[in-house]
Amino acid sequence: MPKFFRRLDYFFHRDEIDAGLAEEMEFHRAMLAREFEGDRTAAARAWGNATLAREDARAVWLGPWLESFWRDFTYALRGLWRERGFTAVALSALAIAIGLNTALFTVFNAVALRPWPVAEPSRVVNVMRVLRNGPLAGEGEGFGVAEWRYLTAHSKSFSGLFLTRNGEPVRAAAGPMRLTWVTGNFFSVLGIEMVRGRGFLPEEDQPLAPLGVAVLSYDSWQNRFGGDPNIVGKSIRLDEIPFTVVGIAAPDFAGTNPERTDLWAPFSARRVLRPDDADVLPFLTDEHHCCSQMAGRLAPGYTGRQAAAEIQTLSAHLHTDKTLDNAAVVTAGTALLAALGPQNKSKVVPILAAMFVAITLVLLLACANVGNLLLARAAARRQEIAVRLSLGGSRARLVRQLLVESLTLACAAAVLGLLIAWKLPSAIVALMIPENGIAMTADWRVCAYTAGMAVIACLGFGLAPALQATRLRISGALQRDASLRFSRLPLRSVLLAAQVAISVVLLAGAGLLVRGLQHVQHQDPGFRIDTITVATLELPAAAYSGKLAEIFTGQLQSALAETQGLPPAGIAGDPPMGHSRSWTTMRLTGTPEGSERMVQIHQVSGGYFDVLGIQLLAGRNFTPADTGRRVVLINETCARRFFGARNPVGSTIESNANTWEVIGLVQDAYTTDLSVINPTIYWPVNGRFGVPLVLGRDFNPAARERLSAIVRSLESKARVSYAPLAENFRSLLEPARYAAAISGALGLLALILAGVGMSGVFAYMVRQRTREIGLRMALGAQPAQVVRLVLASHLHALAWGLAAGLAGAFAATRLLRSMMNGISPFDPAAYVAVFLLLIAAAAAASAVPARRAARVDPLTALRWE
Amino acid sequence: MNQKSLELLPGTLDTLILKALQRGPLHGYAIMQTIRAHSNEVLSVGESTLYPALQRLLLNGWVKAEWGASENNRRARFYTLTTAGRKRLTAERADLETMITAIRQVLETA
Repeated sequence: MPKFFRRLDYFFHRDEIDAGLAEEMEFHRAMLAREFEGDRTAAARAWGNATLAREDARAVWLGPWLESFWRDFTYALRGLWRERGFTAVALSALAIAIGLNTALFTVFNAVALRPWPVAEPSRVVNVMRVLRNGPLAGEGEGFGVAEWRYLTAHSKSFSGLFLTRNGEPVRAAAGPMRLTWVTGNFFSVLGIEMVRGRGFLPEEDQPLAPLGVAVLSYDSWQNRFGGDPNIVGKSIRLDEIPFTVVGIAAPDFAGTNPERTDLWAPFSARRVLRPDDADVLPFLTDEHHCCSQMAGRLAPGYTGRQAAAEIQTLSAHLHTDKTLDNAAVVTAGTALLAALGPQNKSKVVPILAAMFVAITLVLLLACANVGNLLLARAAARRQEIAVRLSLGGSRARLVRQLLVESLTLACAAAVLGLLIAWKLPSAIVALMIPENGIAMTADWRVCAYTAGMAVIACLGFGLAPALQATRLRISGALQRDASLRFSRLPLRSVLLAAQVAISVVLLAGAGLLVRGLQHVQHQDPGFRIDTITVATLELPAAAYSGKLAEIFTGQLQSALAETQGLPPAGIAGDPPMGHSRSWTTMRLTGTPEGSERMVQIHQVSGGYFDVLGIQLLAGRNFTPADTGRRVVLINETCARRFFGARNPVGSTIESNANTWEVIGLVQDAYTTDLSVINPTIYWPVNGRFGVPLVLGRDFNPAARERLSAIVRSLESKARVSYAPLAENFRSLLEPARYAAAISGALGLLALILAGVGMSGVFAYMVRQRTREIGLRMALGAQPAQVVRLVLASHLHALAWGLAAGLAGAFAATRLLRSMMNGISPFDPAAYVAVFLLLIAAAAAASAVPARRAARVDPLTALRWE
Repeated sequence: MNQKSLELLPGTLDTLILKALQRGPLHGYAIMQTIRAHSNEVLSVGESTLYPALQRLLLNGWVKAEWGASENNRRARFYTLTTAGRKRLTAERADLETMITAIRQVLETA
């Protein structure tokens, strides 16, 4: 071993050492020359070929070693080629396991490690304002445009600061596009290269002189505009308003948000897009507007901590009213997970952890499997090994050769694994999170991880068999029959038990997820789903923002109330089980300030409850006359939390800096989430937050036609589209369904791997004990007894594996429960199913070898050596 | 100077180098000189064999090398025997002597 380290030392310092060698030999030559007193020919003859001598001296260090490594490698290749069956099984098991691991790491890398693809990414940080206490503690809050302007002017710790904000989808000729608002310096601060054109100029982002300009993402340029080479300078229409394309961003820059971005526009251009919205100018210029994401490039010599402290101070200067004393400014890296803030991080981390555990188990399983195969193979080669040991081959040398073989196998598997991981992650993530802008490419981190996996796997499956195979006593093994007494150490049984345990954990996890899914699917959501239709209204956005949307909502509400013969219909700001959730804070009137707690808000009309069948328990429902009044309905959970057993109707609450009267109490319903009912308050819908949608019950085509006619009578350009509410329900369950499907696939894979492993073990056992079996048969044993013998030989290993696996699965349910409601760790159905599956797999795996054992001809067996 | 010198028997060079170093650190040229002088100018060590041999000894940890100043004040690399090298020398020397005695006996009997 010290020799190995000296070689390593040489490898890392070889330039230095080679230079020393050259100098040393130069010295030698000079001494010779002195000796020969200027007789150069004689000196040269005495010296010989200097270069050759130096090469020979250098080759001592690595030459023979590399050569023997190469010999081992080619020997391994020949061996693997000779036993193609073994190689195919081992390679596919390892490739799948390494591929899955790499795929997951690719996701992890994209989410948690990789910063934005910008120039010098390590100097770019997110700047966040995190609330210290109160009901929103831990949540991040953004910065306002006016505040950003002030900070940019005064900050010394940033060489550039910019804001971004997700915009609403805009309509373009090629369909809806996702817009991100950015400050004018966005592209220049990040140093994004442009494929065509340029980024924004500072003068293109002036609130008082707004310009309609946009930069397209490379993908949207390719997919929406057919890669039009002359698009820069052309005008495109967004919500019917002309915008000039000034540039196209580099292909690898998908934006700074986890959501996909199709195009960027300067914040000020919001005034161009929404000319009638009076709120836009204050949004751009008033210091009290907030909540855009800020990030910046640190100035040379500043750390993130210093920068955060500076922003905190500057911000306190600006907000003299102390409203932000509760918030701490922090900086975070630009990897997705770091930018999410602590709240969301705690949701993502357990999911990733669960998947890592599952996939590591698959890798272990594959390693155990291949390890077992190698053991069987080593047993077959024990004569070869014994001969080499007896002829003086050193054990270290033999172990190395066996390990090189494992490494060759693992490296081949890693290459195949990388191929598997090339497209898999982006495909799966696209299914689970539609419309995402997360780039899933294999970069150097992924390749390094895979290489590490290969080495670990190689040691994992190769080291123990190699050590055991070379441990045998020569005298015993050379006699052909010294039957296997050498492997009394139950490594094989341990590996078998481990395989069973791992597949039990994975199968049980999958089973529990499926059961949880079933549970959720069949639980009563507390409102009607099947008969409900969601009607989405599409109005020209430019005309219907701000005040006009409010007027429209009022008119729609009265029109629906006046129409005779229409099935029940209600208006809501967002659909039940949609993906948006709004929160606010509330406290009871008369309680001290600071005692606010979070509640969910929905904007609805009175018809909403009728349509969904959510019962009014006390007080009265909304009427059209309530629009604009400060009245609310609350759900049971909210009543319990704030009022206890008292009747809430008639009380007043403080919320959003106003006093509201509680006029009614409604039943709890799972309208936003299937796992939990949050305290909720309902406001009369007013359209201030955008055009609402209509929910209808039993809407046949005639009713739809009538609703469309009503909407068109209010706005001739409106379009109405209908979709069943059940679709929302399905899409809400989608992530859970994919989780169940993925874990089911993993479980199945585990079962197959374990089955292959078990059958290998049984076959090996039969081969080992052929003589014993023959003897028993000769003495009159029945085939059934022989089969039992085969099964019994590893029964304790199976039992141990099953027990350990069930214990592991039980522990794993903790993790799963944090991901999905309705999972019970005591779900007998799931466990029984897993148990039966494994017994079936074990029986199937033992069938072929057992039959072979039962057919052993006693005479042949007795002659067997 | 004796121009007619003999090449070494294979495998003996390492032992001779270790022996040369037994009295104290030497640089490569001095090792060569020592072996030549002690063998009455019979054994010649070619540079093309000396330096690979020294690397081999370094790799096995039998000698270690340090830079120092030579007698004419040039930078030279001095080799020192390590404990492992000393052990090795003892063992090799015994083997070599047995071998030489055996060879002589064979030659004389024949």
